[in-house]
Amino acid sequence: MPGSSSDSPFYVAPLESPASRRPPVTTVGPLGWLRQNLFSSPANAIATALTMFVSGWVLWQILSWSVRSAQWGVIFNNLRLIGSGLYTPDQIWRVEWTAALLVFLLGLSTGVWGQVARRTLFAVGVILTIIVIIPLIGARIPEPRIYLLVEPQRNPSTLVFLGYKDQEVTFQIDPITDPEEASTSLAGYIENARSRTEWFTRAREARDGTLDFADHTLLLTARLLDARGTDLTVGDAPAQIISTPDDLGGKLTVKLPRDGWYMIQVVRDDTNKADNAGYAWLKVDGVELFPSQIDHVEALEDEYGLAPAPDQAVRAEQSLYRYEGTQNFAEYISLQVAPFFKNISTALFAGLALFINGALIGFLGKRERRVRRAALGGWLLAGPVILILLYGFEGSRSLPLVSTRLWGGLLLTILLTFIGIAASFPIGVLLALGRRSTLPVVKWTCTLLIETIRGVPLITILFMAKQIIPFFSPALVDIDLTIRMMIGMTLFSAAYLAENVRGGLQIIPNGQIEAARALGMNPALTMTLIVLPQALRAVIPAIMGQFISLFKDTSLVAVVGLYELVGIVDTITKGQPVYRPYQREAYIFVAIVYFVISYAMSDVSRRLESTGAGSTRRLK
Amino acid sequence: MSEQKNSLEPIILCRDLNKWFGNFHVLKDVSLEVQPKEVLVIIGPSGSGKSTFIRCINRLEEHQEGQIVVDGIELSHDVRNIAAIRSEIGMVFQQFNLFPHLTVMENITLAPRFVRRQARRDAEGIALQLLERVGIPEQARKYPGQLSGGQQQRVAIARALAMQPKIMLFDEPTSALDPEMIKEVLDVMKELAQSGMTMLVVTHEMGFAREVADRIVLFDEGRIVEMGTPEHFFTNPQHERTKLFLSQIL
Ligand SMILES: Nc1ncnc2c1ncn2[C@@H]1O[C@H](COP(=O)(O)OP(=O)(O)OP(=O)(O)O)[C@@H](O)[C@H]1O
Ligand SMILES: [Mg+2]
Repeated sequence: MPGSSSDSPFYVAPLESPASRRPPVTTVGPLGWLRQNLFSSPANAIATALTMFVSGWVLWQILSWSVRSAQWGVIFNNLRLIGSGLYTPDQIWRVEWTAALLVFLLGLSTGVWGQVARRTLFAVGVILTIIVIIPLIGARIPEPRIYLLVEPQRNPSTLVFLGYKDQEVTFQIDPITDPEEASTSLAGYIENARSRTEWFTRAREARDGTLDFADHTLLLTARLLDARGTDLTVGDAPAQIISTPDDLGGKLTVKLPRDGWYMIQVVRDDTNKADNAGYAWLKVDGVELFPSQIDHVEALEDEYGLAPAPDQAVRAEQSLYRYEGTQNFAEYISLQVAPFFKNISTALFAGLALFINGALIGFLGKRERRVRRAALGGWLLAGPVILILLYGFEGSRSLPLVSTRLWGGLLLTILLTFIGIAASFPIGVLLALGRRSTLPVVKWTCTLLIETIRGVPLITILFMAKQIIPFFSPALVDIDLTIRMMIGMTLFSAAYLAENVRGGLQIIPNGQIEAARALGMNPALTMTLIVLPQALRAVIPAIMGQFISLFKDTSLVAVVGLYELVGIVDTITKGQPVYRPYQREAYIFVAIVYFVISYAMSDVSRRLESTGAGSTRRLK
Repeated sequence: MSEQKNSLEPIILCRDLNKWFGNFHVLKDVSLEVQPKEVLVIIGPSGSGKSTFIRCINRLEEHQEGQIVVDGIELSHDVRNIAAIRSEIGMVFQQFNLFPHLTVMENITLAPRFVRRQARRDAEGIALQLLERVGIPEQARKYPGQLSGGQQQRVAIARALAMQPKIMLFDEPTSALDPEMIKEVLDVMKELAQSGMTMLVVTHEMGFAREVADRIVLFDEGRIVEMGTPEHFFTNPQHERTKLFLSQIL
């Protein structure tokens, strides 16, 4: 239009402005996004494809490993150790109460300060579904086969297992006569201590030609007995299989008459023991391995009576077996995932219930000052209450002393973090204020302290806390190692925090302080009501980052001999031979735990920044 | 408003005030008396020491020589004196200086609650009345960042008034505002002047000075060049510097 009126010095727009049109389709929507972000140029397209390929491949490797071969028994059979270390088992309720308190407070805080986001509800829903559905699925998938090796000279083992009424158990004697069989891979649980090692040795010998499997003279009888040692019957005949060199093997399925302990015993005819030759598998289907936790086994024995303990007994217990072969997805669910959730479902349920309760109370009482105060006070009190609860009193009956040397696992990790945060925060703020003080002595002391601590690696500080604290005063010799580590971590964290806070203090404009002073506020009020709230909010990301590293750094106390999460897992996988093959699983689990908690912390930080009380939007 | 207010005792008395920033002599022998209920407008070129002068009155700046007496209390190093005087004097800044992390309501009630120890409920009642007075009662729950400049400055005035001061200091309260918002702030200030508040106002708003001021003071290079009624000032300025300044600004 301006063109048409170029000969006229005036331009007047028409009364109505033109209707808005949509932008071209290739620039908006998912297509536009893809184009602009992933395939904007040939180089970008190649980078996208390459990245997707590599990350896809890595992800696939991890996934397929964790489904097909990973054995998570090392985790779910050691949950108590991983959770609370060597904490006295019959006092474990104190740890549970601690967890309950923390979970409730978390819920309450989410309700009061957090947006109870759809995401939270969604997560709760998903967890509930999983803990209900997974065990159901798990129960429908047949138990994998159990293998016990029968050898020519050593006495055969007796399998002791727990069976239920109408459960069908199939057992089978399968003599190994074909050298081919030596190379066939097995699929199922193989008794670890004897059968598996022996089997590998023999299979190698067969391949080398030093052992001939065809030479088989064993005369074996496999019997299914109840807890008192009486034969079960099928029809009128006793439930037993007889395998002779002439009539090899056999298989029998028995329906169990009642709940209780059972045994499958193999008897070998040893009249000419020295002449025995050949090997055979005892293969059992339909028997479930129970978890190897002491308290779990005790609970079973409370219910079904003591497990029979014949000579050479091998219980159908997870830690005694090793899974061979690859699992399919169904087996993965039933063997790896379901037992896990079965183990923790009660705790998870209780935890969720507490969390939801807390969140509801917090959400409904958001506007009530009392509720907000309770939430804040709860956190302030939580530290001392938890310490007293966990430590107990000398000579007390209901709360006997539990030495901090016994605290371990996730409990210790979380305590170190929690105490570290709670104590280093005020110290850090004071150090920051001290460093900005106008009194030279205060200023130089704080600066010296901060710079010294920041100039030394944490691990050195921890060693110093171990060695040097007692050096200052003989009275300090008695401070136990765990407390000394807490002091070390706290000081370390406080020094870094002080620098973060100082950064925040620097950005508060002088006008704020003048306005406060002009209103008659004294320096203390100005600091606590005006300067600190703004300064701290401005550095929330840095402070939370600091706390997240504190959380991860607690793993370093393992070097002075405390068994926090990493330390205890290290001990489990190195100290207990049966778990030695599962270090990979164990450390992956540890990594997941660290990641989940760190992620939650940084999520909280992001929320604090963008919404609610800490909104930087309002700090303009 | 030009009728002379001859009270017995000046509410602010400055005698031979001298102040230096390092070696720089900002205030030179400034002597001035302000009567209760008087509105004193301070004008002058940039850097002439206007801000420094009024900031000396509530001791945001410290003077080195001379005497300042506010409502019978002499400003000295005694911390209690300073606190007593600050609670008599409200101050409004060019940059508003509201507390961005607090709502409007909290901004206004903070000092009454924590300095004057008023109950929260009482303080909020007073705050609402003040917001009514400055014309923005509906903004109480908002944060400063969500308000326009004019609204923020009115909140700042309400915040200062909440301490029930006897004297109000204004340091260029409209200089950071867009032209449309200047009027709403000036209206509030006029209303305040009519209600009998003692006011010291640094401003470049000559219309306001002419209409509201009882006396106008011209500062230049740290000293008072001329002082008199608006009438005197705008129709019959004596000093060459005043004539020059007025010719530049009008
Ligand atoms: N803290 C300080 N340190 C050193 N010099 C200062 C300080 N504050 C102000 N000055 C100087 O003192 C002089 C007077 O400053 P003041 O702020 O009182 O001027 P003003 O009259 O308010 O000017 P404007 O109209 O620009 O606000 C200026 O030259 C300024 O540079
Ligand atoms: Mg100024």
